[in-house]
Amino acid sequence: MIIAEITGSLPATVGCFAAAIGVGLIGAKAVESVGRNPDASGKILVQSILGMALAEAVAFYAIFLAK
Amino acid sequence: MRSLSLIGLFSPAFVFASSEGVKPSATDLFDIAGVPISNSILTTWIIAALIIIGVRLAVGTPKLIPGKGQAVVEGMAQGLRDALEPIVGKQMIGKTFPLLCGFFVFILLMNWSGLLPGVGTIKFQTADHGWQDAIRPANSDLNTTFALSVLSFVAWTYFVLRYAGFKVLVFDLFGNKADKKEVGMLMWVLLVPIFFAVGGIEVVSIAFRLISLSFRLFGNVFGGENLIHALGGIAPYVAPALAGLLEVLVGVIQAFVFTLLSAVYIGLICNHEGGHDDEHAH
Repeated sequence: MIIAEITGSLPATVGCFAAAIGVGLIGAKAVESVGRNPDASGKILVQSILGMALAEAVAFYAIFLAK
Repeated sequence: MRSLSLIGLFSPAFVFASSEGVKPSATDLFDIAGVPISNSILTTWIIAALIIIGVRLAVGTPKLIPGKGQAVVEGMAQGLRDALEPIVGKQMIGKTFPLLCGFFVFILLMNWSGLLPGVGTIKFQTADHGWQDAIRPANSDLNTTFALSVLSFVAWTYFVLRYAGFKVLVFDLFGNKADKKEVGMLMWVLLVPIFFAVGGIEVVSIAFRLISLSFRLFGNVFGGENLIHALGGIAPYVAPALAGLLEVLVGVIQAFVFTLLSAVYIGLICNHEGGHDDEHAH
């Protein structure tokens, strides 16, 4: 008896799930470090945007490159 | 037409959501001397012509005491230069800045051009494919983003080989960076094959940059276009506008990230003064 069935692309699911967690971790650390040192907010913003773009790119590989 | 109505019969979602979504590949409009010109190429040309004409008209003839248009353009260029100088290094900023500024302005305006009214809505009918879009933003075509990343890679090779030299590159990738006085001779010899293997991994990651740069930009722009298209089918006029606002932000961020990553790749090898505090990007 089939209770649930996975429709859609499994590689894309796992990839996007991992990317979302990665981006969330970067955001959490960025917020925490701004809380510790509010003057560094501009530099932290630049670093965290770069980190988030790199982490999110893995989601695009999973969507478009997975068979 | 009959097949289209049959599809409509069998998928009730057809009524609620718009049809199959945005096509990931651009459709060809016409041929110039045997080379097919797609709708994204046409958009690229039009927007690029507008950029060139716009900047030329704003600046006029550049004067020592700037007029208003020249001051605006200079302010933006100076802001970008100040952001990129600590990454690339003082001796390289003069040589790399035209390329990096070009990347930023090109990608930014191409991303934003995908939000103008008319993109995705002006369609024409072809014989075999039905309705096709007449205008597509440049970066929603993988060809454009791949061309940009190839350009970035070729520029990286040129700048590194010309200004840092082949030996510095090889040492940076494969060289044993341990200090002989700290670790001792035996340990240093044992570390040589490890650093060599690390260099091999580095070479793979450098080659992967071609794919990563292109797919990051393509995925963001194409995904945003798809989002607007899908929301247009569900909640017309309001939700696509909100998604469009998100796309404005994403367009800025992706342009900035592309430029910043190109600068970081060059700066990792060429930047010698100060410390590099940038993370090691793949």
